[in-house]
Amino acid sequence: MNEIYFNAYAGYLEGVVRGYRDGLITAPQYLNLTQCETMDDLKLQLATTDYASFLQNEPSPMSTSTLSARCTDALVAEFQYLQQNAAEPISKFLDYITYGYMIDNVILLITGTLHERDTHDLLEKCHPLGFFDTMPALCVATTVQDLYSTVLVDSPLAGYFRECLSAEDLNELNIEIIRNTLHKAYLEDFYAYCQSLGEPTASIMSNILKLEADRRTVNITINSFGTELSKDDRAKLYPRLGNMYPEAQTRLARVDDIDQVKAILEQYSEYKAMLVGVSLGASSGGTGANDVTLEDRFFAREVQFNKDSFEQQFHYGVFYSWLRLKEQEIRNVVWVAECISQQQKDKINNYTSIY
Amino acid sequence: MAQAAHKDRTLIAAIGDEDTVTGLLLAGIGDIDSHQRPNFLVVDSKTTQATIEEEFTSFTQRKDIAIILINQHIADEMRGILDEYSAAFPTVLEIPSKDHPYDPSKDSVLKRVQLLLGD
Amino acid sequence: MAAVRDNVFPTRMNLTTTKTRLKGAETGHSLLKRKSEALTTRFRAIVRKIEDAKLKMGKVMQNASFSLAEVAYITGDISYQVRESAKHATFRVSAKQENVSGVLLPAFERDTRMGGGSQFELTGLGRGGQQIQKARAVYMTAVEMLVELASLQTAFVILDEVIKLTNRRVNAIEYVIIPRIENTISYINSELDEQDREEFYRLKKIQGKKKERAAVAQRETDAKATARHEMPVRDILAEQVDEDIIF
Repeated sequence: MNEIYFNAYAGYLEGVVRGYRDGLITAPQYLNLTQCETMDDLKLQLATTDYASFLQNEPSPMSTSTLSARCTDALVAEFQYLQQNAAEPISKFLDYITYGYMIDNVILLITGTLHERDTHDLLEKCHPLGFFDTMPALCVATTVQDLYSTVLVDSPLAGYFRECLSAEDLNELNIEIIRNTLHKAYLEDFYAYCQSLGEPTASIMSNILKLEADRRTVNITINSFGTELSKDDRAKLYPRLGNMYPEAQTRLARVDDIDQVKAILEQYSEYKAMLVGVSLGASSGGTGANDVTLEDRFFAREVQFNKDSFEQQFHYGVFYSWLRLKEQEIRNVVWVAECISQQQKDKINNYTSIY
Repeated sequence: MAQAAHKDRTLIAAIGDEDTVTGLLLAGIGDIDSHQRPNFLVVDSKTTQATIEEEFTSFTQRKDIAIILINQHIADEMRGILDEYSAAFPTVLEIPSKDHPYDPSKDSVLKRVQLLLGD
Repeated sequence: MAAVRDNVFPTRMNLTTTKTRLKGAETGHSLLKRKSEALTTRFRAIVRKIEDAKLKMGKVMQNASFSLAEVAYITGDISYQVRESAKHATFRVSAKQENVSGVLLPAFERDTRMGGGSQFELTGLGRGGQQIQKARAVYMTAVEMLVELASLQTAFVILDEVIKLTNRRVNAIEYVIIPRIENTISYINSELDEQDREEFYRLKKIQGKKKERAAVAQRETDAKATARHEMPVRDILAEQVDEDIIF
């Protein structure tokens, strides 16, 4: 029955977001971008895209970091427009999307506090999408205890903090473990929330989030080889969802090397296909022009899922998908820019194209 | 010159843009001493010339630094100080940055090298 | 030419010492010259290496920063995280010394005593950890190269200094000390000659005087003799008028 009323409260935003999607850079445009010789050429090419208005005032020797910052500005402007025009329950959904960024911001501030830095400078470094009202207040706290007890409990992330961490943990645990614990809690919560929204949002988002969960699981496994992270701790960081939850996760929690990971992944038809041609094991340090990493394949798959979500109507997944695609696009553009500015043209095609 | 002095020099200091410093820190050169002084300086568009020069001078005066790495485009801004700096310790090494490919003709040391090879 | 010379008494004794000094200076000169040549050979080798290494560095650093771009592609900006997690350097250098013709050249080396424990091993746990480790490896090799270059450069600066010093000494010996000693020797020689000549003249003069005096004496005796001759021979018989003796 949702579909009947969907357009009444979400039709406009869906229209807008689909419009945004059409503004994404297409394959021929990417081709043009990769042909550029200098950053100025690139800027000229980007003038035909949605980024034009954000780039036109940049002085000419444009650095890739400026490019990246301006593109993010463009993304933020579009997202904020959506947020401003959203009503319940879309606004809640959009808020959920921002929580992921908030986690990163909070982690950043915690790091700053731990090292007794002036956290005000850090506010600029925070991702604008993860900005929340009480965030500037985090700067007031000088110790991590203060941070936890007075400020974090008021933030939208309070739930995640309360669930998985005590104030002592903030001091003692490695900041990366905190970050991953929070992300895990967030992912699980977001998943549960999406399920409560009913079909078709639930099924579309569940696909995307499951992939995200699996990616986290695999990454955490691979990246924890040879580190201080114990196997039990590793298992605690796995999100409790995804295609590999729970049986493959229990096995992943015990593996010691990359081949075992591979063996487990191969039992899943969708991941088996992904593994073909992938050089696992970054330690071998292959820097050939065309080696594909597992991350690249996950990106490609994520893009695929996100594209698929536009094939259906009357669901919220499009907002999430659009944001992900747009982020991927920014990564692509920045990648191309890096290749151009550093004259590494042989790797310029290693981006994950969208359309 | 005091021979014993450079036994204590074990650190590599860095002055550079964000990416350069990040990379060098990844390699593990970063150090924060007991006075909370880091051995690296990130230069961005907001960093003033005076800060850079001050930091550079303080690096050159520290007794635990063996090598100072500095981005060439930053070195260009304080060419005068660098050309004058001729002490053997700490060694000042100009390195390229991401956005500024290496230009051998500007390097203070290489200039001297080429002057010597030229004659 | 106002020849610079040491302020010595022109004696034969000093002449011998000065000659010994000249010999010493010449030996020193040739030794220093050889040292400077040895250093210069070394220096040129280093200079050439520096040039190569500096040009190679451009490439290596480019690769390194590109690997960071790969990290940024997967993980996003990690710079702040990395900067804040820096506490103690795991990559340190130690200096060892190398002796080139008596000059101690420091050579930096990666100090492996610190152990390879990384403070960044959990960075990018959820995403891009592999790329970060890869970038880390690339940067480690880059920094190792930079360290090598830094030792070359230090050697360059020190050698440059030492060679300048040695050349200054060589030149000082060649153009100042040796000429001065030579001047001293020739001064002593000329003084001694002068003294010889004076002595000779003096002797000559004395001889002359003596001769003169002898001549005068001779003349006097001669004159006396002549005078004796020329005295009127008295006719004693005529003069003497004896009184008659009366008995």
